[in-house]
Amino acid sequence: MTSSFKREIFFNLAYLIITFLASFIIIFLALGIFLVLFKEAYPAIKTFGFLGFLLSTEWDPVKEVFGAAPSLIGTLITSLLALTIAVPTALGIAIFINEVAPSFLKDFISTGIELLAAIPSIIYGMWGLFTLAPLMAKYIEPFLQETIGKLPLIGKLFEGTPLGIDLLTASVILSIMIIPFTASVARDSLALTPPVLKESAYAIGATKWEVIKDVMLPYSKLGIIGGIGLSLGRALGETMAVAFVLGNVNKIPTSLLEASTTVTVKLANEFTEADKDIHLASLFYLALLLFIMSFFILALAKLLFLKIERR
Amino acid sequence: MNTKRKLINVVALTLCFLTALWGLFWLFFIIFDVLRHGILALTPSLLLKDPTPPGIPGGGLRHAIVGHLLITFCATLIGVPIGILGGTFLAEYGRGYKISKLISSLADIMISVPAIIVGAFVYAILVKPLGHFSGWAGSIALAIIMIPVIMRTTENMLSLIPWTLREAAFALGAPYYKVIIQIVYRGASTGILTGIILGVARVTGEAAPLLFTSFNNAYFSLNMNQPIASLTITIFQYAMGPYEDWHVQAWGASLIITSLILFLTLIGKSLIKRGFKD
Repeated sequence: MTSSFKREIFFNLAYLIITFLASFIIIFLALGIFLVLFKEAYPAIKTFGFLGFLLSTEWDPVKEVFGAAPSLIGTLITSLLALTIAVPTALGIAIFINEVAPSFLKDFISTGIELLAAIPSIIYGMWGLFTLAPLMAKYIEPFLQETIGKLPLIGKLFEGTPLGIDLLTASVILSIMIIPFTASVARDSLALTPPVLKESAYAIGATKWEVIKDVMLPYSKLGIIGGIGLSLGRALGETMAVAFVLGNVNKIPTSLLEASTTVTVKLANEFTEADKDIHLASLFYLALLLFIMSFFILALAKLLFLKIERR
Repeated sequence: MNTKRKLINVVALTLCFLTALWGLFWLFFIIFDVLRHGILALTPSLLLKDPTPPGIPGGGLRHAIVGHLLITFCATLIGVPIGILGGTFLAEYGRGYKISKLISSLADIMISVPAIIVGAFVYAILVKPLGHFSGWAGSIALAIIMIPVIMRTTENMLSLIPWTLREAAFALGAPYYKVIIQIVYRGASTGILTGIILGVARVTGEAAPLLFTSFNNAYFSLNMNQPIASLTITIFQYAMGPYEDWHVQAWGASLIITSLILFLTLIGKSLIKRGFKD
């Protein structure tokens, strides 16, 4: 009797330890990735320093001089442009699902938008290369040049020969990919608005749009910002979709119709071909910077979500 | 004044409707395009034959399909137990402790960490020390991506099981581990299965983490200690390649991958919905 009782205690303790170790793997991985990337990047960190690497525009494997500015700028431009297109769209979708759509359409649209997140990024990339890029080059980019391109200042962004393999195409693809992340978070946050708040606004004669704009959106602000953070984190690290349609040109772009590069594209293209240690270390340095950036943004988004949960 | 407000209302809500159309438009555009090109490439020889030398038409993707299944299968073998066990700690033994809250939040962040970073990490810890790419490295990279997904779903699904059910089992004198295995797991089995399906669906389409780990192989291979072909990397190579025949096969591979993933995702989502209705 006692021996079987002892055995049970032993098994229970063993299971506790096993499950604890399994969950601890997450901490181990997060720390491990940071430390390993840092260790691998160390030769480059020592050679080029922090600001020196960040601000230098050169990337020359022959002369062994490396700088992150063009790829970081490419990453920022594509991600921010994608956000600019995706966020209003995602908000519109969330509002439509919550407030406008008849109930039989709600599930259909929700599922459809969520499926956008399920399509693998390599499919986006290939579709972008073979279908979207030619369309952009033939119709959309010349059209933009004819209209917005004629404006002063902003017009400068649309200079150049429209080839379809450029920052604009990459950003459009990215924007499609990240719509579902903002949309589903915004949808859930909007749905959390207390009915009483909405009803009191209706009672004083507000239109549906006024209720959405003045009651629901302010109420779910935190959640929506978190959703945007989530999308941004995804956009920064997206690789294959961008690799197909951006080329890998290491220079600071002056127009959206130029081929460019991002941190991820550089990694994907050069990682397995880097035969010099300092080249590989510089690529790891880029990976480290990307990891820190996206981790930081995703952590902020998570903090916002936790704050809402507590409310 | 009122007409103006009503007009703004109609315009704004119509715009919302258009954004939903915009989202769905891209979904159907992409799916239709993959179908249209892929269906032409989907022949028996695509599935059953190995590739011909570059530039010579014919051949198939048997090597990549088998390689892809092998890598994903091994990743599942590694990722699923760790994910479920970890989720068990978060929802059961660690319930309410600060450490499990921290791990749970960290897992949420790790779900969205760029996949290519995971590839670089595995390259540094496995490929570089061993001196060669390998199927195992690819599986481990995919498992790392899969673990947080499964862990978080398991945690959520176990938390849905009413606490009173556990108390009933405790009252019979069952130790906690038996309660977990025989009561909680059984109650949450559909939910756990959903987590596994969504985890597998998530990694099946990944290409970035395989670039530096399992790399690529032009030949049929079952050796997980060597570089091994996968559908996603083959799509990347073929689509960027110069041959028309390669492009056709890349579309075929895209169709296989896309339909598999959409199928898995839809099953996972419908299981979740059914779970909440019960």
